[in-house]
Amino acid sequence: MDFYLGLAQIVGVHTLLGLSAYCVLLTGQVSLAQAGFFAIGAYVAAMLTVLAGWHIVPAIAAASFVAGATACAVSFPALRVKGLMLVVATLAFGEAVRLFFFNFDYQVAKGEVKIGPAGGEGFRQIRFFPENGWSTLDVLIFIWLFVALVMAGLWWMDRSRAGAVLRAVGEDEVAAQSAGINVTAVKVAAMTVGGFIAGLGGGIFAHYTAHIEHAQFGVALATFAIAYPILGGLSSVFGTLIAVVFVQGFLIEGLRFLGDWRNLLFGGLILLAMNVRPRGLIDAATIAAVKRMRTSNKEPGNARTQGAE
Amino acid sequence: MIPFIQTTLDGLMVGSSYGLLALGFALIFGVMRRLNLSYGPSIMIGAYLGTLLYIKFGPPTYVVAIVAVAGSVMAGIYVERLCFAPLGVGAGVASMVSSFAIWMQLEQASLLMLPRHSYPFPSLTGGELWSLGPFVVRPDYLIMLAAMLAMSAALTLLLYRTRFGLGLRAIVENSLAASLSGIDVERTMLKAFALASAIGGVAGFLVLSANQQVTAMLGMWATLKGLIAMMIGGLGSIPGAIVGGLALGVIEAHSQNLFGPQVRDLAAYAVLFVLLVLRPGGILGTTAVRRGMGQRGGDRWTTT
Repeated sequence: MDFYLGLAQIVGVHTLLGLSAYCVLLTGQVSLAQAGFFAIGAYVAAMLTVLAGWHIVPAIAAASFVAGATACAVSFPALRVKGLMLVVATLAFGEAVRLFFFNFDYQVAKGEVKIGPAGGEGFRQIRFFPENGWSTLDVLIFIWLFVALVMAGLWWMDRSRAGAVLRAVGEDEVAAQSAGINVTAVKVAAMTVGGFIAGLGGGIFAHYTAHIEHAQFGVALATFAIAYPILGGLSSVFGTLIAVVFVQGFLIEGLRFLGDWRNLLFGGLILLAMNVRPRGLIDAATIAAVKRMRTSNKEPGNARTQGAE
Repeated sequence: MIPFIQTTLDGLMVGSSYGLLALGFALIFGVMRRLNLSYGPSIMIGAYLGTLLYIKFGPPTYVVAIVAVAGSVMAGIYVERLCFAPLGVGAGVASMVSSFAIWMQLEQASLLMLPRHSYPFPSLTGGELWSLGPFVVRPDYLIMLAAMLAMSAALTLLLYRTRFGLGLRAIVENSLAASLSGIDVERTMLKAFALASAIGGVAGFLVLSANQQVTAMLGMWATLKGLIAMMIGGLGSIPGAIVGGLALGVIEAHSQNLFGPQVRDLAAYAVLFVLLVLRPGGILGTTAVRRGMGQRGGDRWTTT
């Protein structure tokens, strides 16, 4: 049972990471900096609870704000470039953040032991959950509360004017600009929200793993972050969730019995999924099909079902 | 003054390996406008095949070199067929993500071949040092420098003096028009990919023989260094790849000298970020390149 609880925790945190990239991808920008914002969130939140003795909720809130503010500050220069150049610029930023934490040494003596981030060795002793007697289940509920909040927020945003504006910029910048949309502001806003969500995910991640180090926030994590929404499809936030379950639940945990051979299949299966469903696991057609099913169930006598009879 | 020049020399020598890696990257990026994250892991496959042969049978060094290049070409073709050919022209990000998936696959395949962290690799020169007056140089790196210059000259000739190069440049300009005028786009792209992987294979072999060992970090190292060097120098430009590689080497050597080894990579990324923002085309990127990229950016996922 603990195994599944642990898996559900991983899925929750990775969903937050994927959703942070989803926001940015909606505007047609590809950012490999999400792992960097995730790292900032993780380190800030952990330092607040461990070194400053804060409660976890204000700590991750503060961490999200720091990550969001960093994202906002970075997006102004970064958004001067587009497409692949942006990918590389954000990759450079993300790696620079990782290397910063690789060199970041800020230890405080607390009783016998020194605690705090210790450069390449990482940041141990993040014990907020065990110290306060949270069970695995409590932690799981805590994580999914935030996942649900963020997903609901993004789902609602998708249906509001803001979502339409984001997608308009993503589809065609020139057209969006001619329609009076301030493209730069929209992109910066999307990056900021993305950084905020990534920081939230990072803050939670730091607390349930109890030990963070720079190597966890490398290019691989950044690529996973954008792989989830691309694999899941940009039509709905649920696509990202399903992609995370597919990757973390099925490909990583489900194929663990293959041992060293897993990664051989892993790459192939991601590729297969992308070739079979180039617009994502959940695309516009899937959503339309679901809606049709719902309406036909609700109204058995409507025009479509009559025609079929 | 002498330590300063020595550091610069060291940087130029290491930079020549980055320049070699960037050449292959520049070719792929120049032709396809795609980011091939599997570039390094393809090199790794070739290098590991060569190492496996070397450990098991101890063949002469040139056999190891041929195997390393052939292996990386094979892996490169595999990547092109799986990640780049099936996804259409407008799928830059999707092909980047799939090339990452293949990265994991290739790296795992290499580790299944040779599971330990590091293995010995045959050296070309025995790792001796040459003294030129007050300065010390390594002949390994001089070979690399020579190889880089020779290959970039050959590549320039190929691109600007042959029908294949003409076809390739036509595809870069406008792939639809190129295919309408009878150029087999898919075949030409495959050839270009194989060529880029071969350059990568040579780069990988030379770097490893200079280090005299091969480690599991090779794939990621080659991808990142090649990418940074290419980006610093100028997108898809051959002289740019050389300048970028050398510049990256010098930046790394000096920042290591000034601030210690841990700042080495950080400085490289910081320079890259600032340069990309201030001068998106790279050092040698001309306004013409930038204008061309602006015009091509109609598609949502086009990555230029």
